[in-house]
Amino acid sequence: MATLSSAAADDILNTGSRSNGQQHAAGDELQQMMGSAPHSFMLPAVADPAAYSKQNFGVGYGTDTEQAVQFAKGTTTLAFKFNEGIIIAVDSRSTMGPYIASQTVKKVIEINPYLLGTMAGGAADCAYWERNLGMQCRLYELRNKERISVAAASKLLANTMYQYRGYGLSMGTMVTGWDKTGPQLYYCDNDATRLHGDLFSVGSGSTYAYGVLDSNHRADLTVDEAIDLGKRAIYHATHRDAYSGGICNVYHMKETGWVKVGAWDVNDLHYLYADEKAAAAGGAGGLSADPMET
Amino acid sequence: MAEFGAYEVGGPAAAQPSVPPLPIWSSEGPSAGEFGKRDHIDHGVTENPYERRFSPYDFNGGTTLAVSGKDFVVVAGDTRMSSGYEIKSRNVPKLHQLTSKTVLAAAGCKTDVDTLTNLLRTRMQMYEHDCNKEMSTTAVAQMLSNTLYGRRFFPYYSFNVLAGLDEEGKGAVFSYDAIGSYERTPFSASGSGQSYLIPLMDNLVTFKTRLDPVPDMTVEEIVSIVKDAFVTAGERDIYTGDAVEIKVISATGVTTELFPLKKD
Repeated sequence: MATLSSAAADDILNTGSRSNGQQHAAGDELQQMMGSAPHSFMLPAVADPAAYSKQNFGVGYGTDTEQAVQFAKGTTTLAFKFNEGIIIAVDSRSTMGPYIASQTVKKVIEINPYLLGTMAGGAADCAYWERNLGMQCRLYELRNKERISVAAASKLLANTMYQYRGYGLSMGTMVTGWDKTGPQLYYCDNDATRLHGDLFSVGSGSTYAYGVLDSNHRADLTVDEAIDLGKRAIYHATHRDAYSGGICNVYHMKETGWVKVGAWDVNDLHYLYADEKAAAAGGAGGLSADPMET
Repeated sequence: MAEFGAYEVGGPAAAQPSVPPLPIWSSEGPSAGEFGKRDHIDHGVTENPYERRFSPYDFNGGTTLAVSGKDFVVVAGDTRMSSGYEIKSRNVPKLHQLTSKTVLAAAGCKTDVDTLTNLLRTRMQMYEHDCNKEMSTTAVAQMLSNTLYGRRFFPYYSFNVLAGLDEEGKGAVFSYDAIGSYERTPFSASGSGQSYLIPLMDNLVTFKTRLDPVPDMTVEEIVSIVKDAFVTAGERDIYTGDAVEIKVISATGVTTELFPLKKD
């Protein structure tokens, strides 16, 4: 045969591969249930499981309010490169339909001491596949006796996403790290898009964050200025986006690995920046722009 | 179908705007007086084709709540099981003890909850055989997350709250969404009455609406809050009531209390 059948291709790339439920051997099914065999997912027994799953178990802002099963999502995350490394800043709100499920979600996943992944979109999808990526990175280390590059790690994630295209997964993540080639930043999403770049923001509040980031980003920022920029961008996004809020968590990726810089309640940041604005405007004697703001 | 006029094939959505209303009494309308047809009135619903779809999910109602303390955790779930507008049973517990230190409280579709619990118990037994020790609460939490995600494309209709003591003996509560996204939280409520309980807990347990710092609460204080909370939920949620089973997990073991609620 000139071409491989898709089932055979799936078998070759076994990790994270998906196969139709009916094609299992009985022994494999038991092993999968017990958790000792490589993964494949049970699919709804309909003619087009991908479309059914996407329609009924999808993760969408505003489009899943009528669904029987709603999933946790909603976010602003950002990361940018500068001369001293990479700053990663995220919010911490998780919504299920119009309900705020949590204000304390950890949206930065510590894959290993020199690789970070951010979480945007479906919370379970991100958490599961980034943890899976962590496992694959560890296996790479054991097999090759050296740390995996950021390019390879992001490629592994993108390849996994490609296997599940059309099934309604929702994941927009940035894989960042510092490897032999220096600090690297990749954007990966559920369509298997993989982009290399210097500055990204992902999530429902990303447009607001981009405005602040693009206006103020320079390569020669000091570490403190960069951290402040990340905080401000997240604050402005949480201020205007209903699906973002809670706490702003900031990480700094350095040559020696990542460090968690700190966590700030965006409500406190609001009053802090308002005071700064008032102090700056007080000298000029201007009137306050927004009557609703104290 | 032509004589009834108002409804096209495909259901009410395709109705024409200016049409005489359907007859209610058999003495009216185009069929009035015709022998054999008089009692046959189509109100536009039963005879016209409209989509009936089989849903694999049934919602059996109920509410669960777990609150963590310094070295204990209180888990509670009501015991009413309903389907549609019927109460099937007043005595079906929602708390499932998985290990000596961990309890799973789950509302939703009972058969999915039972299957999930059986699967968890089986995998925990295998863990105990392989590792010669009981699974810790944090390990159970991760395993539950992975098990839920295994059904990402056909989820378990189970709203889970996992409660137990962590390795340091402190109270731990984990909240889940339907496909396994989880987080350790001070308290968690799920099920039909969660909207009534969570704002109350935000106020009484985590002091979100107050400025004073949160004190360490005793078991009695938290159990009292939990009982009040379920009475509140029972007042406003039709699927919550009959009785609430309250378990307290602490270093000395697990104690159970059944607190009666209104049965209406």
